[in-house]
Amino acid sequence: MIVKDVVCPFCGCLCDDIEVEVEENRVVAVANACELGTKKLMGEQRMKNPILRDGNAWKDITYEEAIQYAADMLLSAERPLLYGWSGTHGEAQCVGVHMAELVRGVIDNTSSVCHGPSILAIQEVGHPGCTLGVVKNRADLVIYWGANPIDAHPRHLSRYTRYAEGFFLENAFRDRKVIVVDVRRTETANIADEFVQIKPGGDYAVLSALRAIVRGKTETIPRTVAGVTREQLVRVVDLCKGAKFGAVYFGLGLTMTGGKYKNIRNAIELVSELSRHTKFTISAMRGHYNVYGSNEVNTWMTGYPFGIDFSRGIAFYNPGETTAVDILARKECDAALIVGSDPAAHFPRRCLEHLADIPVVQLDPYPNATTAFCNVQIPVAVTGIDAVGTAYRMDGVPIRTRRVLSTGYPSDEEVLIRMYALMQGAKA
Amino acid sequence: MTFLMITGRTVNQGVTVENKTSAAYAVETSTCFMHEFDMLELGLADNDAVRVTGPCGEVIMRAVASPEVGMGTIFVPYGPYANHIIAAGTHSTGMPDFKSHEVAIEPTDEEPKTVHELMEDLGGLAYDR
Repeated sequence: MIVKDVVCPFCGCLCDDIEVEVEENRVVAVANACELGTKKLMGEQRMKNPILRDGNAWKDITYEEAIQYAADMLLSAERPLLYGWSGTHGEAQCVGVHMAELVRGVIDNTSSVCHGPSILAIQEVGHPGCTLGVVKNRADLVIYWGANPIDAHPRHLSRYTRYAEGFFLENAFRDRKVIVVDVRRTETANIADEFVQIKPGGDYAVLSALRAIVRGKTETIPRTVAGVTREQLVRVVDLCKGAKFGAVYFGLGLTMTGGKYKNIRNAIELVSELSRHTKFTISAMRGHYNVYGSNEVNTWMTGYPFGIDFSRGIAFYNPGETTAVDILARKECDAALIVGSDPAAHFPRRCLEHLADIPVVQLDPYPNATTAFCNVQIPVAVTGIDAVGTAYRMDGVPIRTRRVLSTGYPSDEEVLIRMYALMQGAKA
Repeated sequence: MTFLMITGRTVNQGVTVENKTSAAYAVETSTCFMHEFDMLELGLADNDAVRVTGPCGEVIMRAVASPEVGMGTIFVPYGPYANHIIAAGTHSTGMPDFKSHEVAIEPTDEEPKTVHELMEDLGGLAYDR
């Protein structure tokens, strides 16, 4: 059987034109997806049943026992951390927020180690963004800054920019220019019309120089800025000002380097400067397929996008204090519920040393690096494969994922609802 | 020699990311992509083991020449190897310095550890060994 219009649950592109061939309840072929999506849709190394760490061994337990363990752990903790959430659907994220509030815990999602700094910048100066469809149909200039879509969002180029048709572009491939700004000469840099190679850590200075040139202050710019010649900077500004519609997409090359959110703020301010001359937008290349949704759900439920601390009985937000890396590194939390992420692979070692000291329950379909730090892991269905749910694309468009298999695994939402019900019962 | 360590996504890291205990994931995330001149200077051939020392420890990786990185810079795919030496400070933003760590690199005869071994070193217990 071939299932059409499947939504790929890998990256923030949420490609919705995937075809999946299913035979005997297994995915045997995937069409239209990139290598990342294909591998995920065909993934087979699922954990079979919930497991409990028993001294230096693992033993199988039932879902009922595992859910009871998690509920008891969260209820008895003084400062529980509920982390992850980007690899699951919005309905499960909602339950997570309710749970965090009930136990006065801290709920944080993976954006704190991804585009959290971008959100901090947006909170300072706003977000002149647009949907991917607008860029596909109108943009005649696209800038990738600190982003390498060929490796991280492989179909971004073919669906929306370099290789995409555009309704308002006669010959999109010829008429649409692509500029890549990076410290590395990536594969994406190789397909750019203009590649701007910056010395590591120089993004802020280059953004400032571009803003000065847009303002007509070229004479104030030194001969090179962070390794980029003045001539190239002027050429980039000319391309930008000459465009009818420009779109900047930035990646973790801006959020993870020194300056962090100040880099993004400068990029957004460059875009508003350019918008005095032509139309320009800027958006983040969001990583997990539903990391944007996690920010949305948190924001509409608590007022804040990530790093929300309920210990005062109200939502409190202070990145750097209420974010997962900081809480773990300070050895502050005394229990952790991990959903839809793998902090043991992606957090600095100091955080892992604390995970080893506290009770940890993880909801994840696969054994991963965090499994080693778990007291209990509960295998769940994969949203977009054997569970349905809502995810938000990188441009903020909510898309309902489809189910292509029936495996019998419960969804994240189902497990969390049962856990939450036990916790409500105990509190009452 | 000291280098600036940058971490990031690669296709191979992405296709193995749902199977983190696999050998392919370990190989990809323990690869230290370097400029060929830097490798020459250190007397390294492709896939030679290197000891990478960061602000909070050391880890063994394998050096591979890459035309993508400049001299003085190394690139390591996101994962447990790079994070084994990355500091947890976030400058009050929540975000560690994943792309701006200074590290020292020297050739070694030691082999890179498995992901299971790295996790057990930090107090974990491997599940599907």
